[in-house]
Amino acid sequence: MRLRAGLFLACLAALPLAAGCGGKSEPVIKIGFSGPLTGDQAPLGEDMMHGAQLAIDQANARGEVIPGFKLQLAAMDDQRSPTQAVTVAKKLVSDPDIVAVIGHLNSNCTMPASAVYHQARILNISPASSNPQISRQGFDTFYRTSATDDMQGLGAANFAYNDLGARRVFILDDMTTYGRGFSTEVEGHLKRMGAEVIGHEGINQGDKDFVPLLTKIKSQNPDLLFFAGMFPEGALLIKQRSDIGLPANFMGGDGLFDPALIELAGGAPAEGAHLTTITTDISQIPTAKAFLEAYEARYGPVGAYSAYAYEAANIVIWAIQQAAKKDRAAVLAAMKEFKDFPGIFGPANFDQKGDPIGREIGIFTVENGKFKFVKTAAAH
Amino acid sequence: MTSLQVFIQQLANGLTLGSIYALIALGYTMVYGVIQLINFAHGEVFMVGAYATLMLVLLISPLGLPWWVALVVCALGAALVCGALGGLAEQFAYRPIRSAPRLNALITAIGLSFFLQNALMLIFGATDRQFPSVIPFVRWNVGGITLTLMQVIVWASSAALMAGLQALVMRTKLGKAMRATAQDRTACALLGIPVDRVIRLTFVIGSMLAAVGGMLFGMNYGTINFHDGYLTGMKAFTAAVLGGIGNIPGAMVGGLVLGLLEGLGAGYLSSQWKNVFTFLILVALLLFKPTGLLGERVAERA
Amino acid sequence: MDSRGLRARTRRWIGLGAVALFVPIIHPNAYHLDVLTSALLYALLALGLNLIVGLTGLLHLGYAAFFAIGAYTYGLLNIHLHCPFWIGLIPAAIVSGLFGAALGMPALRVRGDYLAIVTLGFGEIVRIVLTNLDQVTGGPNGLLGIDHPKFWLPGRGFFDFSVESAPYYYLVLVAVGITAWLCSRLSRSRIGRAWVAIREDELAASCSGIPVLDLKLLAQGCGGAIAGVAGAIFASKQGSITPDSFDFILSVMVLAMVVLGGMGSIRGAIVGALILGTLPEWLRGFDQYRMLIFGLAMMVIIRLRPQGIFGAFQASRRKPATAKEPHARAA
Repeated sequence: MRLRAGLFLACLAALPLAAGCGGKSEPVIKIGFSGPLTGDQAPLGEDMMHGAQLAIDQANARGEVIPGFKLQLAAMDDQRSPTQAVTVAKKLVSDPDIVAVIGHLNSNCTMPASAVYHQARILNISPASSNPQISRQGFDTFYRTSATDDMQGLGAANFAYNDLGARRVFILDDMTTYGRGFSTEVEGHLKRMGAEVIGHEGINQGDKDFVPLLTKIKSQNPDLLFFAGMFPEGALLIKQRSDIGLPANFMGGDGLFDPALIELAGGAPAEGAHLTTITTDISQIPTAKAFLEAYEARYGPVGAYSAYAYEAANIVIWAIQQAAKKDRAAVLAAMKEFKDFPGIFGPANFDQKGDPIGREIGIFTVENGKFKFVKTAAAH
Repeated sequence: MTSLQVFIQQLANGLTLGSIYALIALGYTMVYGVIQLINFAHGEVFMVGAYATLMLVLLISPLGLPWWVALVVCALGAALVCGALGGLAEQFAYRPIRSAPRLNALITAIGLSFFLQNALMLIFGATDRQFPSVIPFVRWNVGGITLTLMQVIVWASSAALMAGLQALVMRTKLGKAMRATAQDRTACALLGIPVDRVIRLTFVIGSMLAAVGGMLFGMNYGTINFHDGYLTGMKAFTAAVLGGIGNIPGAMVGGLVLGLLEGLGAGYLSSQWKNVFTFLILVALLLFKPTGLLGERVAERA
Repeated sequence: MDSRGLRARTRRWIGLGAVALFVPIIHPNAYHLDVLTSALLYALLALGLNLIVGLTGLLHLGYAAFFAIGAYTYGLLNIHLHCPFWIGLIPAAIVSGLFGAALGMPALRVRGDYLAIVTLGFGEIVRIVLTNLDQVTGGPNGLLGIDHPKFWLPGRGFFDFSVESAPYYYLVLVAVGITAWLCSRLSRSRIGRAWVAIREDELAASCSGIPVLDLKLLAQGCGGAIAGVAGAIFASKQGSITPDSFDFILSVMVLAMVVLGGMGSIRGAIVGALILGTLPEWLRGFDQYRMLIFGLAMMVIIRLRPQGIFGAFQASRRKPATAKEPHARAA
């Protein structure tokens, strides 16, 4: 028995050694990627991964980015867990072939992982994390292609107050980094504009029964129910709101921008719901046409963050090209020269903190079972 | 709406959720009663029931059956699938380790729970699935209180199943054998009661009730996800303990009380604090009545 | 067991510890070290829970809460008072230990699986409170910018652990070593033997004059304090903590580690944690099937070794006749 235990420990110690061998440099340049690839957010993570993959394949098809090297995507699953995100980040930075990392999706994953990338001096672009605090850490390695929640919050509040005429608002969020951050911005702006926020409560992700909560909200007669969260809970709120006959308007953010929202809500109850997105209608942007066609031909409809991952991957590829060598420091340094990049949302630029400049907030509504672009909301 | 109407509405809301909790809690409490196992995988069995119903609904919807026929077909089909699953789990996972220390069975149950949950994810995908209800949407307004046909069916079917189970346990030979097995397994075996079969049937019946719970859950909320079983299962387990684990009427009462607590918690306090509220009540209750609402003192044999 | 056997065993453990010391030098791969560090952190938690579940026999389903309390205690002290890591460890341990003992209070009245549900409820309450108290805990964003440990080397000045892997590996390794040593001293002391007596037969223990209630509180307090230390280390390693790192699954995993290793066995707790803590990483190649296989593996291991990996020969030596069902009656 003791012998067996000893053997077991020896094996345990030896296995990582065995696994660690063979990390020899090959004629590839890898771009790291991390997001949730298993679990309930796997579809969002896969959409992101597909966007990045498409950009890399297109670049390889155009010829070698740097003579002698092929580009490759090294994707890893962070299971949307902050602890796992750090583990994955360390795994990515320990691979010498990886010169930049695209990821993560959830703000609470990007936050600790960005510190690992910063310490390893490796370029990190997040295509989805929108919490403003991430870029306030002052990491020169961090950039993001998605708009931040303070921009979206202002856009959403503007539309709710001016266009929907909301004066009595009940706000719900899903108690995540994203939901709480976004809803706090919306609340602040609405109050400043003069609307009355009659309640602000959290719901638990994964909860199903919101009828008691909605019954309470109904008895307080709001004219708008605002929800900052993801589409599974959003769909349930929309459906149960219609079940109990709550007449208030419904509005949400980009976390709801998924066709599944309408399907899960049962179609009709979703009609007339509004939501903000961190871009204008992508199909209206001429520069995005080629991307949309290529993506849809290969993977089907674009997901919420596909385009941002595609953009992030193209920026990384640009930086590698500028660096003209397989070197993390050179790739990172190349980003200093980044200006007016011909991105799919128009000329792309970053501010001092690495946040994108000039992103517009789009307003969509559900009409005849589809998202329909309404207008661009002011977010300045 | 007057505040009294709101209050009655909230009671009705809580009762719906509580009925579903009660159906699942019965499975926990029956299994616990006979072999003192917290069957962690029971929440997953409940989810299997929900997915089995979803498949059945998609299968039979082209037939154009009257809705109540479709409902019965779904309930029977899901109960069959889950009953088989419960029986198999007992036979292959729990029986071989029945004589091992008690926590081993708990670990097996946790392992089985991971396994089933991920199997569901692999088969049906990780995203939420829309769950078409076979029950038509009918809404009544009774004195300012909104009731739906769905709610009434949830109440009626769980009440009927609980009454049926109570009759089974108290009036039939099998029920008697179950109660005897719960009291003393060895003595039962000596008296010629087929203990193994009784235990298996306990799993099967508990799983069938969970299947119906899964069906009602899916139809009531309209979406299901592979990890819904975890949270709902944990709540149902709480309900079973609240009522006094091992005690069948206790599980029903516990389920209803928990549903009401959650409903009133979300309705009058705050939805983000409702689980804290629920658990605090639970802890307080256990401090004053350490064996749950209807629990007997059999548990304190130490 | 005789003292010679004891010494031989101690020597073997010191030998293993020495091997462990060289891992970062032989194999300086940040990712593998990080996985090992996480597994060792699990081992620390398993050692603490082992005192409660393994030795004293109290089923506990909310252990992650103490881990969280330790992490937040250090995090808050560090952010608001700039308390250095090494000093922050002490309040983290004390606060978690006090919570552990306070949670033990219901144990004065509630027994068996009812206690399990009280602990489960406590675990959920702590997590939700951490999420909801935005003003204090940062809500779902958690605490950001927690300092990494610093170390003063003579002549070299301050050495910051930063996000390196090896320093944390050593830190956790030392913590596991010290805790394992303390636990083994404790389990062989009067207190430890009294705990086992309570686990085996509470009634008999109290009849023999063992202060059952005090000792139950002590076990929960000690277990809580160990989790508090683990939490502080975790917080300093991550640099930021969020409430969702401390969910029910974590409590269940640590419990599985204790049972898998063998209830009451210190080596068992460590090995169980190393297996279950690294298994998901071994299985990374299986992608989507990973957690499915993980669940199966748990079932298979417990089936093959019902007493846990190290449980068998300790248990059989101690109580040959009643080794079968130590808990059925304690419920």
